[in-house]
Amino acid sequence: MIVALPSPREEAWRWSDLSALPALIATTPRQEPYEVTPYWIGRGPRLTFLNGAYLPLLSMPGSVTVGPMTIESDHALGRLVGRIGWTHEVAAGANAGETIEILNVATGGGNHLPARIVLAGGAQASIVETLVGDGWSNRLTEIVLGEGASLQRNVRMMQIGGFTSLREVATLARNSRLVSTFLGVGAADTRIDAAVTLAGDDAFADIGGVLLARGHQRQEAAMVVRHVGVRSVSRQTWRAVAEDHAIASLAARVEIAKNAQQTDAAQSLRGLLMARTAAINLKPELEIFADDVKAAHGATVGALDPDALFYLVSRGISETQARGLLTQSFAAAGLERIKHPILKERFGQATSAWLE
Amino acid sequence: MLTIENLHAEIEGKPILTGLNLRIRAGEIHAIMGPNGAGKSTLANILTGRPGYDVTSGSVQFQDQDLLALSAHERATAGIFLGFQYPVEIPGISNLHFLRTALNAQKVARGERELSGAAFIKLAREQADALSFDQEMLKRSVNVGFSGGEKKRNEMVQMGILAPALAILDETDSGLDIDALRAVGDGINRIQRAPNKAALLITHYQRLLDYVVPDFVHVLADGRIVRSGGAELALELEREGYSAILEEAA
Repeated sequence: MIVALPSPREEAWRWSDLSALPALIATTPRQEPYEVTPYWIGRGPRLTFLNGAYLPLLSMPGSVTVGPMTIESDHALGRLVGRIGWTHEVAAGANAGETIEILNVATGGGNHLPARIVLAGGAQASIVETLVGDGWSNRLTEIVLGEGASLQRNVRMMQIGGFTSLREVATLARNSRLVSTFLGVGAADTRIDAAVTLAGDDAFADIGGVLLARGHQRQEAAMVVRHVGVRSVSRQTWRAVAEDHAIASLAARVEIAKNAQQTDAAQSLRGLLMARTAAINLKPELEIFADDVKAAHGATVGALDPDALFYLVSRGISETQARGLLTQSFAAAGLERIKHPILKERFGQATSAWLE
Repeated sequence: MLTIENLHAEIEGKPILTGLNLRIRAGEIHAIMGPNGAGKSTLANILTGRPGYDVTSGSVQFQDQDLLALSAHERATAGIFLGFQYPVEIPGISNLHFLRTALNAQKVARGERELSGAAFIKLAREQADALSFDQEMLKRSVNVGFSGGEKKRNEMVQMGILAPALAILDETDSGLDIDALRAVGDGINRIQRAPNKAALLITHYQRLLDYVVPDFVHVLADGRIVRSGGAELALELEREGYSAILEEAA
């Protein structure tokens, strides 16, 4: 497979390093044992994909279907996905019930998977996606929320090597709600590209997460939230931590269309630098064409507060442990939107495990 | 328990302590008073190992250990507690989690068994109740959204849980209303007034000493102790002010 990848000379990709991808996709996945059980969270439907291929024996798909599908995309990585993927459709007014879990295991090489989540009017669903292993896992996920629909989406990027790329495209009808959290706690490079359109009036989107990077890792999220309907509300809360020589980057853009009056949009991007050799890039952007709107953004990068560090150390906590606790404290705001207690716990555990 | 001999210290080359001597025995409560800039908080920070201070000469022995050779968290494990003038807010970490981590870190370092979750919660509740500290606040993020009085009560709850041999309380009375002052004073008496414990109260004012009557009062000025006495010295200071005492000492 020969692919044309964007170069760092392009503005939208200037913090990315995709140079390892051609070599990754030139290799074939290794035949080796892998684990799935540690990653299951609840007792709801679950689907396992190994290097992009569906494993029915390790799945209980419930109402999720796997089969041929086409999603148009002009995104540089999203357009590379294949023709077979998973679809979750929930009928009008239905509650999909327990959280659906999608586990992506990769053992090298490259895998490219499309997915579609369609919630009809008033439907509700919760989906957790987890990416583990190594290689290049590339995803294109289309989300369509009907009037009054509500989706909780949580993604854990836990690959120990390689690259994880996620392209998410969401369209929200009137009164619908999208709450998405992304957690980067592996050792792979990552790139999240999300485009969320609040098309209907009174739609609500709360998107954000935590990227924890160390070594020579690069993790990056690029968000575009577009307000089209009136009185729509968006929140973007991201926290990035970079140690060693790692680079973490957050670009978050809010676009408010001409007729999107009474939009309420807020962004909070914060970076924590744990070493002078690490780097954090923050790029908050607002593009406002309506005149009656509320749009707030904050972007700061700093180091750990020495007073807070001494407070913990003075109670007998070692400096290493204290730094871990404070980093967890810093990251907490990026995970706050997860309300489901078990998911909250598991995402918190994944964060503290990375920090230890 | 604590012996400070001829302690000299500076911050960024500026001398702050200039030959301080102090001896605290088990069972004693000492108060250090003095004007602003005398070096009171510097003394507390040096004893507890806050970075940024250089000890240029002198020694500090704590229970037969060279205190200055220990790192800050080792001093806590050895039995020293610092009550902060400005307790720090830590969003996203619950009081319970923070305190359990601290207590168990100390226990592990001393070779003791860690406390189970249930046993810890029981201990935390007892200490919170004794300070009239709302138990719900134990579950909240450390000091976030707490009033000044609640933060200081929380310091006392922490002191009760960690059970130090020596408590160094840096202006624990500042910013407290009468009820909180009484609660904090009762807490100090209950937790630290024991034959095997001691406390060093650093304060500007006499009023905390109405609740916690010290065995010794010291006046710190220009980086050293210029006068020592009993509880009556605090009353004299309150009546006559520092300048009269300092002139007399000079």
